[in-house]
Amino acid sequence: MNWRFALLALGGFAVVYFALVVCGVVPLESLAKMIQSAVGSPAGWRNTLRQATPLLILGAAVFVALRAGLFNIGADGQFVMGAMSGTAVALANPGPVGMVLGMVSGALVGALWALPAGWIKAYRGGHEVITTIMLNNIARVLSLWMVTGIMKDPDEQAATTKYLPTETLLPLIYREKALQINLALLLGIAAVIGLWFYLKKTVSGYELEATGGNPTAARFAGIAVKQVTLKAMCLSGALAGFAGALQVLAYEERFYGGFSGGVGFDALGVALLAAGSPIALLPSALLFGIIAQGTTALSLDGVPKGMSGILLGVLIIVFAAYRYRKEAARD
Amino acid sequence: MSAESVVDLSGIVQKFGRVTALDGVALTVRKQTIHALVGENGAGKTTLMKVLYGALKPTEGKVIVEGQERHFTKPQDALAAGIGMVSQHYSIIGELTCLENLMLGAEPGWTIPFANARTKATELATQMGFSFDWDALAEGIGPAQAQKLEILKLLWRGARIMILDEPTAMLSPTDADLLFAKLHELADSGTTIIVVTHRLPEVMDHCDDVTVLRGGKLIASKPVSETNPEELTEMIVGHSVDIPAPTPATPGAVILGVSGLTVKGERGDDAVKNVSFELRGGELTGLAGVDGNGQRELFQAILGLLPFSGSVALDGVDLTKKSTKDRLVAGIRLIAEDRHHEAVIEDWSIELNGVLGLHHTEPIRRGMLVSANARKEIGEAVTNRFPTKFDRVGQRFGDLSGGNQQKVVTARAFQQNPRLILAFQPTRGIDIHVSALVFQALKEQARAGSAVLLVSFDIDEILEHCDRVLVINHGEINEPPEHLRGDRQAIGRLMVGAE
Repeated sequence: MNWRFALLALGGFAVVYFALVVCGVVPLESLAKMIQSAVGSPAGWRNTLRQATPLLILGAAVFVALRAGLFNIGADGQFVMGAMSGTAVALANPGPVGMVLGMVSGALVGALWALPAGWIKAYRGGHEVITTIMLNNIARVLSLWMVTGIMKDPDEQAATTKYLPTETLLPLIYREKALQINLALLLGIAAVIGLWFYLKKTVSGYELEATGGNPTAARFAGIAVKQVTLKAMCLSGALAGFAGALQVLAYEERFYGGFSGGVGFDALGVALLAAGSPIALLPSALLFGIIAQGTTALSLDGVPKGMSGILLGVLIIVFAAYRYRKEAARD
Repeated sequence: MSAESVVDLSGIVQKFGRVTALDGVALTVRKQTIHALVGENGAGKTTLMKVLYGALKPTEGKVIVEGQERHFTKPQDALAAGIGMVSQHYSIIGELTCLENLMLGAEPGWTIPFANARTKATELATQMGFSFDWDALAEGIGPAQAQKLEILKLLWRGARIMILDEPTAMLSPTDADLLFAKLHELADSGTTIIVVTHRLPEVMDHCDDVTVLRGGKLIASKPVSETNPEELTEMIVGHSVDIPAPTPATPGAVILGVSGLTVKGERGDDAVKNVSFELRGGELTGLAGVDGNGQRELFQAILGLLPFSGSVALDGVDLTKKSTKDRLVAGIRLIAEDRHHEAVIEDWSIELNGVLGLHHTEPIRRGMLVSANARKEIGEAVTNRFPTKFDRVGQRFGDLSGGNQQKVVTARAFQQNPRLILAFQPTRGIDIHVSALVFQALKEQARAGSAVLLVSFDIDEILEHCDRVLVINHGEINEPPEHLRGDRQAIGRLMVGAE
């Protein structure tokens, strides 16, 4: 911590402050309200944790790709495809079987949706940022076509599927007053712990991080860099697709057009904020959840939703600068 | 030669937290001389130079340049005062042309009058006897040209005092001699040069004065004519170097069999041409040759990193179809040429790097897992094998000094029962006395039954340490006949294809 960092943090705060002034609210009051609405009541916590669940798993998806040196911008599309296939499978198999199969198919389809990007990157050298952006658009249009076509609930005007029956949905694991916690959150936390174990303890995870750390040195160390690249991309896609299926099975209870709302892009921030540690995904996703919930509450006062983008942007810049200073000081 | 001093450092103390890197060091450099600064890794050479060119602000002490006391806070200040440095790793940007590299950061104004600049650049190069294709991308130039370009960069910026850090580390012996010839010309025409080096022959043959640092303290500073290599070695190391005499080689079974090996190089021509040879256990074999004659491609083909035709067998087992991983498991170890790119992940800890490439072998690999215990053991083994300066095995690898990084990389090749060690200049950047230990260890590994192939650009190093000599020239390998094995001239002729 030094004066530059303090100045930067202050500058960041000033940006947020003036953005709120421009929105026509009293800044400090609004910030207090944000925090109050996100973590000040059981109902606030319920909403915050609900927002944090997909952010956590998608964050893990982007994170694992980053560790392999890949920037998976496609988490959003993989999330949508996972949610759509999860819904279709769960609708076809009512009850706990559909719940489990829905999650499995979400992960599988997510991995499949990432596969072309991984393959093109590993064997043809095409940049994954470009290909995953393309795949995002295809996922968006394809899912819209499906949900206005064969997947559409004929009794509905809007582009949406039927609701899943209650027995297919993921159960609550905690419920007291307004605070409800869905099993999905626990599964997300388990996924992050599993990811930590994979990266830090297994040979496969070691090779994945080596490939991201220095692909040439990895090749010299007998690591099949291309296969690892493909594997990492598919693993990332599987996590994103799993997050999509959970979103349906735990919270949304159906699939509809424009499903993601860009949560796959917020996940980039979650992963970046977590830096090198998978466990840091937990506080990072929680912070993003708080901001998402807080700005939702502010929107009632007429503050645009874009405010969350400003807040997150400022946070990431301040944090990145802090880390950069730390690294620069070390050199 | 004038006796007037241009650089006068006195009482320099540099502390990093509780560590004292420099403890009251003084340095006086006479005008228009080549001054050598020598010492082991961590003796404080680089730190002292950083103080001189403004990258570090000393805790205490005086910096006087050309009679004027200076308080540099950044390298640009030092450059404005006429001091510039070429560091060990060149800062040439491959995507820019040579001319753009030359001007980078010192462009004449908002716009760049290229034609004008090209004329000036050519003039400058001609003065130095260098020639450059100014419009070619810099990525194509070799280490010798890059070194020259770095020197021109300093002259372009008007440097009158030049610091060169290990200037010959990347150069072949011929290029190194040429470089020093140019440095003499520069000195004669008014420039003062400070050379940080490990190589005593360079000091003896080319420098006017020498300053020895050890453990952050000034040990001696005197004209080269008043000292000798033995005295310098003792001053550098602090005690006389005493390595036990090696046992004679007893060649054992054939470990590596190479026959009809041809490897394509980067430019599509054959970098290794129909080469056949055998390496036996018990022997340390030296591969002499000028840099870039196929050594790199030979090693990479044996490790399975480059496609080849012909055959390579280890312990009688054909490797042609085997992956790099299988070859590592079979016991081939490479001490890679380019440590930063090929050998380590600098952001990782020493411990994690310690098992890189060994992680396919039991017991480091246990089923699907990397054994934490084995990893820890290897981490300790690679730092204990040669005297290495480090804090803890969990420390970031990139934070080690260059020499200490090399020691860890070299030590790693000895782990997990190697059958064949391919050592590409394994002592690059390592100080004299640890280098001796490395050669000793390679020899002991050979005596224990492994085959060792050592690539070196230095004939004397090979003659001193190796049991057997092969010479590579333009991708062809020759072995000097029995009676010429110890003949420096004969090997030198083979190296350049004169025989």
